[in-house]
Amino acid sequence: MQLRAGSQSVKILQDISFEVFTNQVVAIVGPSGSGKSTLLGLLAGLDRPTEGSIRIHQTNITTLTETEMAHFRRKHIGYVFQAFHLIPTLTALENVALPLELQGISTGTSRAKALLQSVGLEHRLQHYPVQLSGGEQQRVALARAFIVQPPLLLADEPTGNLDSSTGAMVIDLLWELHQQHGSTLILVTHDMSLAARAQRILTLRDGTMVNETTHPLPSSGPEA
Amino acid sequence: MIPISVKLAWREINSAWSRFLFLFLCIALGVGAIVAVDLFAVNVEQVILGDTRALLGGDVELSWRRAISDKSRSMLDSLTDRDIVLSHVTELAAMAMVNSPNSQTPLTKGASQLVELKAIDSAYPLYGRLVVEPDLQTAQLLDPLQSGCGGSPCFGALAQESLLIRLNLTVGSELRIGQASFLITAVLKKEPDRIANGFSLGPRVMISREALEATALVQTGSRIQERYRLSISDSTSLEPLMGELRGRLSQEGAQVSSFRDAQPRLRRFLDQLNLYLGLIGFTILLVGGIGVACTIQGFLTQKISIIATLKTLGADSSQIIRLYLTQSLFLGGIGSLLGAIVGIALHQVLPLLLQGIIPETMPMNPTAVPIIRGIVLGILATLAFSLWPLLAIRHVSPALVYRQAVDHSQAMDNTQSRLNRCRAILTHWLNDRAQVMVSISMMVGVTGLAMWQAHSLTLGLFFSGACAVAVLLLLGGTGILYRILRHVPIPQRYLLRHAVKNLQRPGNFTKAMTLAIGIGVMLMTTLTIVQRSLLDLIGNQIPSQAPSFFFIDIQPDQYPQFVRVLEKEFPDSPYDLVPVVRSRLTAINGQPINPEEHKGQRNGWYFTREYVLTTSRDLPKDNVLTQGQWWDHTKESDSDGATKTPSDFPLVSVEEDAAKNLGLTLGSILTLDIQGVPFVAKVSSLRQVDWSSFSINFFMIVEPGSFDGAPFTYIATTRVPPTLEVPLQQAMVAVMPNVTAINVGDVLENIGRIFRQLALGIQALALLCLVTGAVVMIAAISINRYRRLHELAIVKALGGSRRLLVFSLGVEFGIIGAFAGLVGLGLGCLLSWSLLYFFFDLTWTFDLVVLSTGLLLTILLTLMTGFLGTYRLLGFPPLSVLRQE
Repeated sequence: MQLRAGSQSVKILQDISFEVFTNQVVAIVGPSGSGKSTLLGLLAGLDRPTEGSIRIHQTNITTLTETEMAHFRRKHIGYVFQAFHLIPTLTALENVALPLELQGISTGTSRAKALLQSVGLEHRLQHYPVQLSGGEQQRVALARAFIVQPPLLLADEPTGNLDSSTGAMVIDLLWELHQQHGSTLILVTHDMSLAARAQRILTLRDGTMVNETTHPLPSSGPEA
Repeated sequence: MIPISVKLAWREINSAWSRFLFLFLCIALGVGAIVAVDLFAVNVEQVILGDTRALLGGDVELSWRRAISDKSRSMLDSLTDRDIVLSHVTELAAMAMVNSPNSQTPLTKGASQLVELKAIDSAYPLYGRLVVEPDLQTAQLLDPLQSGCGGSPCFGALAQESLLIRLNLTVGSELRIGQASFLITAVLKKEPDRIANGFSLGPRVMISREALEATALVQTGSRIQERYRLSISDSTSLEPLMGELRGRLSQEGAQVSSFRDAQPRLRRFLDQLNLYLGLIGFTILLVGGIGVACTIQGFLTQKISIIATLKTLGADSSQIIRLYLTQSLFLGGIGSLLGAIVGIALHQVLPLLLQGIIPETMPMNPTAVPIIRGIVLGILATLAFSLWPLLAIRHVSPALVYRQAVDHSQAMDNTQSRLNRCRAILTHWLNDRAQVMVSISMMVGVTGLAMWQAHSLTLGLFFSGACAVAVLLLLGGTGILYRILRHVPIPQRYLLRHAVKNLQRPGNFTKAMTLAIGIGVMLMTTLTIVQRSLLDLIGNQIPSQAPSFFFIDIQPDQYPQFVRVLEKEFPDSPYDLVPVVRSRLTAINGQPINPEEHKGQRNGWYFTREYVLTTSRDLPKDNVLTQGQWWDHTKESDSDGATKTPSDFPLVSVEEDAAKNLGLTLGSILTLDIQGVPFVAKVSSLRQVDWSSFSINFFMIVEPGSFDGAPFTYIATTRVPPTLEVPLQQAMVAVMPNVTAINVGDVLENIGRIFRQLALGIQALALLCLVTGAVVMIAAISINRYRRLHELAIVKALGGSRRLLVFSLGVEFGIIGAFAGLVGLGLGCLLSWSLLYFFFDLTWTFDLVVLSTGLLLTILLTLMTGFLGTYRLLGFPPLSVLRQE
C-alpha cells in the first residue's frame, strides 16, 4: 500500500499475505506506525491497496466500486474504532439501529434494543454520546458493529481510549459477542496480553509482516 | 416512524442554527427582492390598470387631434339615439396667469404657469369618481359666477395642488386663462382617467365646456385633443360597435379604442420596469446562491468525520448526498419563507421610492401567487447551488476514520507544463460524469429560472448568458489579481505575510467573496455611470444647446406682435419662427392607412401619429440629405437641354427613419389630411435629422408655397438667459394669452425628476445586491472562524497584540475589497460603455470621481464586513481556545 504526500510516495505496507479462517480470532500487533490500522482499513475496504488483492468470502473486494464496497460492508463487515465514532446527534439506540436503516430495514429498533441490553446499556437507550462515558460509548459501538451479524468483525485498538478496567470489560464483551454471533474477529492492538487471547498473532514492523504466531488451537472452519 | 436519517438531518440543523443564519439571509434577500417586485407589479396592475373603464373614461373612446368635422359630429349625435351616453372632453396645454393671489401671501399677480387644461361636460366622468376638496358637486364648482372675481363674472376651476404650490395660491385665488377669468373653487385630488403624476407638461386645471369657449383658446390649427367617451348599455355588444365606429370614422382622422386595450404604452412601461427590477432581484438571488454554496461547503467540511463514519457503516455516497441535499432544501425553504416576509415588507416601501411615478398612497396588498413563486424560486436556487458542494461527499474516503488526511489529490509533477496540467485537470473533470451532469444541470437550472423570472425564453437565455460571461470575467479578473499577488515580494512582517497567505490557503473562500461583492459593485457602477451620463445630458448638455422656450399656437396675425415683443423687450435673444400645419397621414401610394392595423406594433406610431408639417426654402441646419435632392435642384435640364416640368404634386422631404418605417422611397406619394382637406405630396428627398440638437425639426418638410391657404400657426423658439425666462413668459402671456409657452428647462427638470426617481428605485435594489454580497462575505468568514480563532489564539500566546492582529485582518480584508472593487468597477465600466453606446447613443466618459469613490467605498465595505464577522474572535482569551484542542 502506497500513499502520496505531495510529490513523494511513501510505502505504508508491502509484502503482506495471509489467510484468515472462519470464526478465527486474529490479532495484528506491532509498534506505532507499523501500518496496523492501515491494514485493518484495507480489510474493511475503507481504502484500496495500490497493489495486490483482498478476498472476503470469495469476493475480491479490491475490484468493487465504492458503492459496491459500501453495500458489501454493510452486510458483511462490522467495525469497532478506537475513537468510537458514534454519530453525536443520534441517541445510543439510533446509533445502533443505523446500519440496519442503511440497508433499508426500518424495523431494527427492537434488535438494537436487545443488543444494547446485552451490553448492559438498557437504561441508556435515549442518551446521546456526549452523555455517555468512554466505556459506554464503546459498548454502543460494539452493539452497532454486531447488529448486522457480520461474518467479519474488525476492531482497531478497541480499548485504546479506555482505562484498563473498562477496557477489560469491553474486551470481554467483544469476545462474548464474537462467540455468540460466530463472527471472524480481527483486531489491532498494542496490548500483548490481549493479543495472547487470539488464535493467531500477526506482527507488523515498518509495513511488513515480520512474524506470525499460531495459537495451539487452530480454527476448523473454511477460509474467511 | 421517522427514519433515523431524517432525525439525523433535523438534529444536525438544530444543533447548528447559528451557522445557517447567513444561509437564510442569503436566500431571504434574493427571494425578498423578487417577491417585492412581483407584488408591486401585481398591485400596480390591479390599482392602476384594473379599472380600465375609469382609466379610459368610458367603454369606448373616440379621439381627434383637432376639432371634429360636421360629418363626425352628426355621427356622434346619432349614437345618443341608441341608448349610448356620450361625454365630451377637450384637453390642451395653456398658460394660466395669476389674477389675484392668496391675500395672505406676497403678491404674485401676473405670474404664469403652463397648465394642462381639461374642459368637461356634465356627463363627466362616465366611470370612476372625481375627488375634489371641498367635496362638492362638480357642476356647482364649475358654474359661472356672476361676480366671483373681484366683482366681475368668471368661471369656477378645479386645480391640481401643484399649481397652487407653484404659484402660491389657495382655493379662492383668481386665474386668467386665455380671454376668461377663473376662480379656483376646489383642489383636484383624484382624476379617474389620469394615471398618477407621470410625465405632464404642467398641473391639471379643470373647467367647464362653456368656460373653454370663453377662453377663445380653441382656434383653427390649435393643438388640442378632443375626446368623446361612450358608455354603452349591457344590451349593446362592444365589438360590433367598435367595428362600426372604425368603419364610419376611418377617413375622419379618429382614434377608436375600447377599455379592453386601454393604456398599452403604460402597460409596456410598467412591464419593462417590472422586468428590470425583477432581473435585478434575480441577480441578488444568484449572488445569495454563492453564499449558499459556501455555507454548505463549510458545513460539510465540519461533517467529514461523520460522513466517513457513515460510509464505514455501509452508507454509499448517493445516500449521504440525498441526506444533506434534503437538509439544504429544508434550509432553503426556511430562507425562502423568511424572504417572502421580507418581500411583503419591502413592497410597501417601493411606492415611496418611486413616488412621482405611481401614487404614494396606492394600497399595496400581498397576494398569494407572487409569494409562492418567490418561495419556489428560492428553493430551486438552493438546489442549484447546493449540488456542486455536495458532490464533494463522493470524495470523502471512509479511511478518514483512522487517518488524519488521505492524499488522493492529483498532485502533478511540477516539471509538467502548465498546458499539460490544465489538460490533465480538464480530462479528469470531463471523465467525472456526475460532475459534468451536475454542472450542466446547474447551468440549465439557472437558465430555466432566469426564463421563468423574465417570462421570456429569449430574454432568460440572454440574461443567463450575460451572467455567465460576467461571472467568468469576474473570476478571471480575480484570478489574475491573485496571481499577481503571489508574485509580489513576500512581506517581511509576519502579520502582513500571514494576511496575504491567508487569502490563498487551501479551503479559502477568497474568490467567492470577491465574486459576490464584485457583482454588486459592477451593478452599482453601471447604474451610476449611466445615470450620471443621462442626467448630464438632461441637465447640462441639452440645456446648453436647447432653446429656453417653445411657443406654440401663435396665430398668423400674432406674428408681428410676437416679433415686436421679442425684439423690443429682449433684443439680444435669438429666435426662430416657423409656420406649421397639423396633419395626419391617410394614404401611401394610394393605399389608405388603417390606424387600427398598426396599433400595438413596435413602430406602428409612425402610421397613427400626427405629422406637423412646415415649409423651408433651405435645408435646415441639423439635417443632412441622404437621398434625393432639395427643391432648387428639381428644375435642372434633362439631356436634351430642355427644362424639366415641375412635379405634378408638391414635393416633400421625409426624415429617413420615418421613411424606413413607413416604407417610403423617392417618388412615393403621400396623402395627408389637413383639417379635413386632403393634401397629396411626392417624396423628393430623405434626410437624416440630429434630434439631439433640440432645435425645431420635422419628420416632413414641404416645398415652399405648397399649402398656401391652409390653416397654419407658428411655432417659435427663443433663447434667453435664465434670469429673463420668467419676464419673457409673462410678457408673452400678457399680450397673447392663447399662446402656450413651454419652458424647456421645466420639461427637462420634469423628465430628470422622473428619471431620478426611477433610478432611485433601481439603485435601491442594486444596493441590496451589494448588501447580499456583504452577507456572503460574512458567511464565508464565519465558516472558517474556528481555524481563524485558533490561529489568533496562537499568535496572541506568542505575544501578538490586538492592534497587530487588527492590522493583519485589515490588510486581508482590504485586499479582498480592493480586488472586488477593481474587477467590479472594471466590468461596470465595460457594461456602462455598452449600454451608453448601443442603447443611448451617448459617449462614455472616464469619471475619476465615481471610480475612485467606488473603489474606496468597496474597500470600506469589505473592511466593515470583515471586522463585523471577526471582531468577536479578537476578544477570546487564548488559553480557553488552546485548551479545547
